[in-house]
Amino acid sequence: MSEVYRLDAPYRGAYKLERLTFGSGSPSISVVAGLHGNELNGLHTCNIVAALLKMIRLNGTVHIYPSINTFGMDQGTKRWPLDDQDINKAFPGDPEGSAVERIAHALLESTDTDICIDIHSASPLMREIPQVRVPFSGKEVEYARAMGLPMVWRREGDRLDTTGLIGAWRSQGRAALHLIGGRGATLDVAASRTMANGIMRLLYNLGVLPVPVDADENKVDTTKSGVEYIYGQVGGFWVPEVRVGDEVKPGHLLGKITEVVGGGLLQEFRAESAGLVVTARTYPVVHAQELLIRIAAIME
Amino acid sequence: MPTGERVDIVRRRFGNGEGPRFALVAGVRGDTPEGIRVAHKVCAHLQEHNSALTGTVDIYPCVNPLAAHRGIRRWPFFDQDLNRRFPGRANAHAPDRVAYRLVEDLQGIDQLVEVRGAHSAFTEALQAHIRKGDDNSLEIAKHANVEVVWERTPGPSSPSTLVYQFRDSIVLEGGTGNRLTSGVANDLTNGVLNILNVMGILPDECLPFHWAGVARPSVVGDDSVYRLRSEMGGLFLPKVKPWDCVKSGDSIGDVVDPISGRQLQNIVAPVEGRVLALREQPVVLPGTMVARVVRVEPNV
Repeated sequence: MSEVYRLDAPYRGAYKLERLTFGSGSPSISVVAGLHGNELNGLHTCNIVAALLKMIRLNGTVHIYPSINTFGMDQGTKRWPLDDQDINKAFPGDPEGSAVERIAHALLESTDTDICIDIHSASPLMREIPQVRVPFSGKEVEYARAMGLPMVWRREGDRLDTTGLIGAWRSQGRAALHLIGGRGATLDVAASRTMANGIMRLLYNLGVLPVPVDADENKVDTTKSGVEYIYGQVGGFWVPEVRVGDEVKPGHLLGKITEVVGGGLLQEFRAESAGLVVTARTYPVVHAQELLIRIAAIME
Repeated sequence: MPTGERVDIVRRRFGNGEGPRFALVAGVRGDTPEGIRVAHKVCAHLQEHNSALTGTVDIYPCVNPLAAHRGIRRWPFFDQDLNRRFPGRANAHAPDRVAYRLVEDLQGIDQLVEVRGAHSAFTEALQAHIRKGDDNSLEIAKHANVEVVWERTPGPSSPSTLVYQFRDSIVLEGGTGNRLTSGVANDLTNGVLNILNVMGILPDECLPFHWAGVARPSVVGDDSVYRLRSEMGGLFLPKVKPWDCVKSGDSIGDVVDPISGRQLQNIVAPVEGRVLALREQPVVLPGTMVARVVRVEPNV
């Protein structure tokens, strides 16, 4: 374990950016989690991967950063708790800037590897199926498919925002994979394990890992046009009938928004398309026009 | 709202519609009560002189009422900074919808002024910010009864702010974050009324002050504003007050160890000028900004 960066803090010990390194030589891969302190599944994924890599001789280098925003993590906040700034909006960072800019700079410099993976959870209000988001084409799509996660989602957005880690990596010419799985502010053990398996499959595919991993779970490989978005029209109390990972056919009851006082029905939601529930609202209090469910078409 | 309650975003319109159109927006964030107070004072004055106005004045006293209700920066529940959601989206959750509707409502505006207070951790001298290149607003801002007009180069987060959506826009700041300071709202109100006079909307005889009493600001660019940062973690204890004159090398304040009180760093002014902003909330980390010093002529 090595300390990549340190920042003194008043009233407590210093902030430390720590990483675990396995193997040596090429290719090199960085796995980062915990930019947001209340997204914990990535942290668990990192530790599962670390435990496995400890026991194997690698043909390449893997750097694992289980928890970037340690102060956010120990205070249960998404952002840096002292000034409420989002580290994932501070890239490329600045070694003489504010705390989050310094951390962002140190992390970007330190993850100068061939492939970079950033692991997030959904917000605490939602759950996402373990998925990898990549641009429409290129080497990253190959890597994404090699991971064998339940969903590959090809979309442009992340690449364009260079204040985020994914965008910052891409602007430096590094292959960047955006992993998301489970719900924020929780530990989804299954989602964490699925993402760990995905990382191990990628390492095997790259030749870094000499031993193969279990068969993959890929069900969805799509762009936005293959995803049905369901929004509530009104505010109220959301009672779901499906969970992330359920397969649904058209007409399947997805859930209801009910009156807060009395439970009277306000709006009912049924699937229009067949597919896999990949996103689900978990927090029951909803405001008008919030995203409730996403269904993605399953590959033939 | 989930309980069925409605929250209204209010616009108050004054004038006869036969002249330029001016808009004042306050309360984009919930921790800037100074701006909201200015909006109320301007409304009260215009109410009294409505029949003398030539043109249109639209006042939006508070566009983020739920945040103001709690005295917090971000829109609660969604935990979003409304000033990073522009231009907004029509069919989306409440903060994005409000941003969208506000931009729609302000289309065709001749001059926009957003009034804030200060960041919650700081006291700011009375100042106007305009986008570098917006020469119309520069001329108008000189009449805003502020000490400094700061021409700023847009940064990476600028495109998602309210004022960036409009070609002619000014931000007014002053006072201390999340509180009301005697005199600040009065000064900024006089500034807004003076702007209305300069634009030909409010006649001379309706001004509650003499034009000679209006402050004549220095106009500065980014290279005249110096950000002073702590290099240590501790407590920042200032030795100066906002708008104090300083010479190069003067001590702005100390960073001390929070337990022992031992001085860790002396923060000095890099140039001769005045203290434009001063940190009020004393807890600092390496990189935390403690003051801004602006290089201006000492006899200003």
